[in-house]
Amino acid sequence: MNYPFWDIPHLGSGWVIGIIAIFHVMISQFAVGGGLYLPIAERKAMRMADKNMSAEWLTQLARHSKFFLILTGVFGTISGVGIWFAIGLTHPEATSTLIHNFVFGWAMEWVFFMVELTTVAVYYYTWDRIDPRLHLKVGWVYAGASIATLVIINGILTFMLTPGDTWLGVAGTGHEASVFWNAFFNPTYWPSLFLRCCVCASLAGIWALITSSRIDGDKHLALKTSLVKWSVKWLVPSFVAIPFLMIWYLMMVPESQRALLSLGIDTIGAGTFSVITRIALVIIVTSATVVGVAYYLAYRNPAEFNLSHAMAVLLLALIATGSGEYAREMLRKPYVIGRWMFSNGVRVPYVARINQEGYLAHSMWVWNGPVLNDRITSMGITPLNDPNLSYTRGEAIFRGECGSCHTLSGYRPLKELLAGRDRTNIGSFITMLQDYRADSPYRRFMPPMVGSKQDVDDLTDFLNAQVNSPAAKPVLAAATK
Amino acid sequence: MTEKTAYTWIDERLGLSELAAFARHKTVPVHSQSFWYYWGGISLFLFLVQCFTGVLLLVYYRPGAEAYESVRQITFVMHFGWLIRSAHAWAANLFIFAILVHMFSAFFMKAYRKPREFGWLSGMVLLGIASVFGFSGYLLPMDELSYFATKVGLQIPMAIPYVGEAIANMLRGGPEVSEFTVQRFFALHVVVLPAIFLPLLAFHLWLVQRHGNASPPSEEVKPGAERKSIPFMPNFIRKDLAMWLISLNILALLASVFPWALGRQADALVPAPAGIHPEWYFMSPFEMLKLLGNVLPGEFGEIAGLLLFTVGIGLWVLIPFYDIGKTSGQRARAAHYFGLLAVFALLATTVIGYWTIR
Repeated sequence: MNYPFWDIPHLGSGWVIGIIAIFHVMISQFAVGGGLYLPIAERKAMRMADKNMSAEWLTQLARHSKFFLILTGVFGTISGVGIWFAIGLTHPEATSTLIHNFVFGWAMEWVFFMVELTTVAVYYYTWDRIDPRLHLKVGWVYAGASIATLVIINGILTFMLTPGDTWLGVAGTGHEASVFWNAFFNPTYWPSLFLRCCVCASLAGIWALITSSRIDGDKHLALKTSLVKWSVKWLVPSFVAIPFLMIWYLMMVPESQRALLSLGIDTIGAGTFSVITRIALVIIVTSATVVGVAYYLAYRNPAEFNLSHAMAVLLLALIATGSGEYAREMLRKPYVIGRWMFSNGVRVPYVARINQEGYLAHSMWVWNGPVLNDRITSMGITPLNDPNLSYTRGEAIFRGECGSCHTLSGYRPLKELLAGRDRTNIGSFITMLQDYRADSPYRRFMPPMVGSKQDVDDLTDFLNAQVNSPAAKPVLAAATK
Repeated sequence: MTEKTAYTWIDERLGLSELAAFARHKTVPVHSQSFWYYWGGISLFLFLVQCFTGVLLLVYYRPGAEAYESVRQITFVMHFGWLIRSAHAWAANLFIFAILVHMFSAFFMKAYRKPREFGWLSGMVLLGIASVFGFSGYLLPMDELSYFATKVGLQIPMAIPYVGEAIANMLRGGPEVSEFTVQRFFALHVVVLPAIFLPLLAFHLWLVQRHGNASPPSEEVKPGAERKSIPFMPNFIRKDLAMWLISLNILALLASVFPWALGRQADALVPAPAGIHPEWYFMSPFEMLKLLGNVLPGEFGEIAGLLLFTVGIGLWVLIPFYDIGKTSGQRARAAHYFGLLAVFALLATTVIGYWTIR
């Protein structure tokens, strides 16, 4: 409420984060897994008894490291910065909370990130230029630094789902940073870390299959066979451990949020938040398929494994990873920071106060906000939007309270979800969201509607005009404060 | 030892080792267009998915007056009922898509030439039955969209002179689409069509095994030493299974992320909602008839459209008896251009059809 609203029509701002984040995760987890893959493979090659094969492996690894450098160093870095921009614009309140709590965590991560960027460049450019043992050490330094970035960011990501009772005990007092380590090593930290490590290892193998698939099987059959088979083995830890780790992870998630997973078992009804169940199914099927396809196409048939096959495995992995990240985000509902901040940026303890004082009284950046409006007027400019109109107030409330998860006519479209309801029905629905009774089905995944009675009316007018326009518009003109 | 004895016992009775020997000796050509060989297998896989999910749907589906209510229960009450229904519906669409890809790849690889004429003809009949599967299954939920789409679809046979109305009435079970139509379509969908489809499919697969995969003309001209191939068992089967897995995945993704919706219950007394149109695989003929109707309005246009369409399909089906040469000649080129024209016409009319939906 202290920041401007970032309105992305049709797509919704959440998806801007989602798209960048899924792309970033695919690359950044490769940066961690691949960071281990390279020195382990290099060490293996250096210890081979067959010197010709050893040389062939090292040549191929040098090629792979070029691919690795470009992908992680360019696309990984750019998308990482993109996430910062996107979360800052979409969830400024949550981003602010995270920065205030984890500023030193991020500082540490960035130090390791700089080490990563430096060593990966050194690693690639010093093939055959420095002593092989020193080159291998550079690889190990890179691997250590990249794992360290995962260890740190995992603490911040898991905090958002399960901040833990200790942190929640001091939240809002200004002393949150005093319990940094409690927040960092929160209930889902360890299962999430092991899960991500498994995913990183898998992605290292899958991305390595891309470069290995391009080896000419007719000319270098032994090299291709050994590299493809060895890369597939990187999927084994995931195949074995992920089901158990997933159970551990879900056991640590609060029961109320775990229950979200079952909402879509028996329905696909609109507004029932069944999507998370469906996405969970996709993760299971796709992950199993990645293993199956990698086994059939790559491990059992390495000589004929080509780039199309490798791309198919990668695409499946992309779907599994993307679905996993989407499900993790959805599991936080109705919060963006568990039990502390609702997904629309409203802090849980502030609800009663906002209900009393009104939502827009705390929104400094809307056109009728006290500061902005006075400033515009003092400049001799009449605000374009009449601040007294219920319609414009309603739109501001829509953007602030609904816009994080809904659009009007695109993703989770309110025009569609509210279709068939008249103004009275829309009003009743919003009132129900404001009442936020314990037995309300929406309470499981939606934040309450916060604000005064006037705010409820204004939002109702706005949504009614959108859903039932144009007939409803003349009524709005008269609906002034 | 026990395993070996058991295998021998079965082998002596079923001749498994003969089958295994046949599979070991059978090879599949490898070339730049080998990718298209998998589409027959993908079609088969999607058909099997439909059989499996169809049987599960049968447990709860009630044809007739309760059709809509039973589908509503499947979609919104039964545990994972929506998933089975979505998988069935998506598999049906992907099935037709896979058959079309398979058909066009067979066409452009000239896989209809001697001795594969029966393979081509049986494939065409299978495609025809598959589209009737789609049409009959579409009505079964009896929601608004399926009701009106079927109503529009059954207008087409009405254009046949003299017998059109009788045929349409027979299909509908009366002058209007009603619960009797659902009953008839249901019988067609789960009994009549499978009874025809399954033996024909077995015949088609037997022909494929008998004659093997056809190589495209560009491969045929190469000397034997330059042609590559892989054993059917286990190399090709392994890849085929991987393609099945990928298909399953695409199906799971579509069924989960875009679950098949259920509209409002059909009501014959309300006007048809805007934008009623046939399923995508019927959009092309629908649009062709519409376009021709604009040029030649009235009954004459409808008859001309049906005739044109029938002649086009006839030519397409009979192509093995026109393009009979082994080498690239004038007829081969004409057939190739005919194929390109067919692809262009299908795509263009489908796009125009969707573009002009109101």
